[in-house]
Amino acid sequence: MELKIFHMYPDLLNLYGDLGNVTCLRQRCEWRGIKVHIIPFSRDQEVPLEEGDIFFIGGGSDRGQNLVYSHLLGYQRTMEDLIEDEAVFLSICGGYQFLGAKYIDAEGNDVPGLGIFDYETISEEGRLIGNIVTKNTLGLDPETLVGFENHGGRTYHDLEPLGMVVAGHGNNRKDQKEGMVYKNCIGTYLHGPLLPKNPHLADYLILKALKRKYGVEELQLLDDSLELAAHRRVLELYSPLK
Amino acid sequence: MNAKIPLITNQYHHRGGKIVSNSLRFHTAVLAGKTTSFILKKVLKGEASAMPGKVAMQIDPQILQVVNQRCQKKILVTGTNGKTTTNNLLSHIIKSQGLRVLSNLRGANMPQGLVSSFINDMEDEYDWGVFEVDEGSFQEVVKHVKPDYVVVTNFFRDQLDRYGEIEKAFQDIFDALEPLDTTLILNADDPLVSNFKSLGKKNIFYGVAKNKFSNQEEGVIESRFCPSCATRLEYDYFNYGQLGSYHCNQCGFNNPHREYEITGVEYANPGYHLSFKTINHESQDLDFSYDGIFNTYNCCAALSAALEIDLESEKVIDSIGRFEYYLGRMESFQFPDKLVKVVLVKNPIGLGEVLRSLSLDEKTKSLLMVLNDNPADGTDISWIWDAQVENILQVKNLEKIYCSGRRAEDMALRLKYAGQDPTTLNVDYGMDHALEKVLNEDVEVVYILPTYTAVFQIRELIISRMGGSSKFMSYLRESLKNIKLKGN
Repeated sequence: MELKIFHMYPDLLNLYGDLGNVTCLRQRCEWRGIKVHIIPFSRDQEVPLEEGDIFFIGGGSDRGQNLVYSHLLGYQRTMEDLIEDEAVFLSICGGYQFLGAKYIDAEGNDVPGLGIFDYETISEEGRLIGNIVTKNTLGLDPETLVGFENHGGRTYHDLEPLGMVVAGHGNNRKDQKEGMVYKNCIGTYLHGPLLPKNPHLADYLILKALKRKYGVEELQLLDDSLELAAHRRVLELYSPLK
Repeated sequence: MNAKIPLITNQYHHRGGKIVSNSLRFHTAVLAGKTTSFILKKVLKGEASAMPGKVAMQIDPQILQVVNQRCQKKILVTGTNGKTTTNNLLSHIIKSQGLRVLSNLRGANMPQGLVSSFINDMEDEYDWGVFEVDEGSFQEVVKHVKPDYVVVTNFFRDQLDRYGEIEKAFQDIFDALEPLDTTLILNADDPLVSNFKSLGKKNIFYGVAKNKFSNQEEGVIESRFCPSCATRLEYDYFNYGQLGSYHCNQCGFNNPHREYEITGVEYANPGYHLSFKTINHESQDLDFSYDGIFNTYNCCAALSAALEIDLESEKVIDSIGRFEYYLGRMESFQFPDKLVKVVLVKNPIGLGEVLRSLSLDEKTKSLLMVLNDNPADGTDISWIWDAQVENILQVKNLEKIYCSGRRAEDMALRLKYAGQDPTTLNVDYGMDHALEKVLNEDVEVVYILPTYTAVFQIRELIISRMGGSSKFMSYLRESLKNIKLKGN
């Protein structure tokens, strides 16, 4: 078995250790004998997206995100088809915002998004920064997800959230929701990076990709004692649920 | 020319005759600063690197202009990494020539840090002021301190406040430099720094030529795009991060000619044996006792500045060979059975490069990594995932790795995903406990890599363990160093 992981714009969207998610997916596949190809996709480095099994999109600086957006517009239809076809997407922070209809910046200007989903993100006073703990909606065990958020935009939608906020801010600090889930596409504000300390979510994504490609129903178990210890440490330090 | 400030007048003046401050206020400020310093150092036995200056500036906000006036010539060092080392080395070189130098050697690099150094080491006049300046404080500092030279080391993301982006740090320094009449000493190998040539100042470029530690593979890189036209840059080789030999096929942007250049790098455990080419194309050899290619760059920066201000090259090279500093950022402690080396790690490029430098040391070794997430460390510890921790796999004769600090598991997890054998990893929050264990390892050398808030704690814990003769030897070494300095 082999999986192709598309790392979208690694040279432009590379903030806050999000690279660790790709490292995590690769290792957790390889430890199980599943072959992995990491394929960087960027400006001047275009590769057909249809070949991908897992797509990872992180966040970047304002300059980086603007460069990405103008380029990614050309791939809007392809991405929409892939998401409908249950390809696995993990979009974090700026990547999550891109997928929506628009971003309203600090001056009130509309910056259109890819429009794959109809949500919008509004830049509001004060960044939401800090450790965050949510309860996941995917039925995963443990039920908590832990990470670190750092965003100025507030996202509002009626889609299924990825989790409900236990400690921290989430999508917009108001409705307790964090992230979104549609088919196998996940959007979230959780850095940390997200997957190494949430191995249950990492395996959820890997299994979805293997199921779509090979009809696989379950994954070989790994020794996650260190991963879960790091997860628990965040709960001890930053969550009322210990 | 004597720029001495008369101390007993009602007012002292700027060159233009503008009233800067009155003497009563100035003396009150200094007295308050000195009192703060005394309390911090003698009573509380702590550091006095920023607070005395802060207190003094409350009373006399113009005090930085006095610092400016009392230093006949000034050099500022800024950039992301290497400021403290470059600043310490350059001050050491200049002092070794018998000149009077004022410098903020302890890394407090905001305006209050500069003022503290003045309060703690007060003279009527200095030949040179050599100061490291935080990127975020640079604009504020140059309002008062007018540099003859500015050394810019590099631009990397720091773990603190990273959403501010390095583009902003770059722009702030660029704007602050624009009106200054100064000579820039620039790292030719960092495209973000060499781009300062567009300011049209007098530029002196330094850098490191291709050497046996250069590589073809891109590691942790800030920007792969041309600062001039945003096209993807091509690289012939990388020395570390985005530092290397680059060119833009679109607009021709490339490394400027290096006036001062390290042409050869040999590992000499500890430190490096370096070959060097001066602006006059003379070749020289020198030794510098700190590991890592990033330190080769720091050495090159200080050396270039020293030669540029016309210090005698033989004396400069000699003083570089004798350079040692002990701030906890890079410090060695000799125990009866082993050497203990402490190296501060504070951002992705630093962590990756420190690990890379360990791979050159063949001695048997164990490691203690301390990761804290206090505000001064950066509350977001995700930066360790941007670092090339995979370099750990090249480290030879590595017995065990202990991970400690508030986020010990995160560090261990990063190492596991870098491919480090999990059975070599040990997690222990208690720093004291973890230190005890690593010091009991049967190895020749122990490396300790703490984040910022852990450095001083670790240092205290180590010294408290240096019993009997080693403790005595350490004190003796320190005293000898002081005598040597005074003798010069």
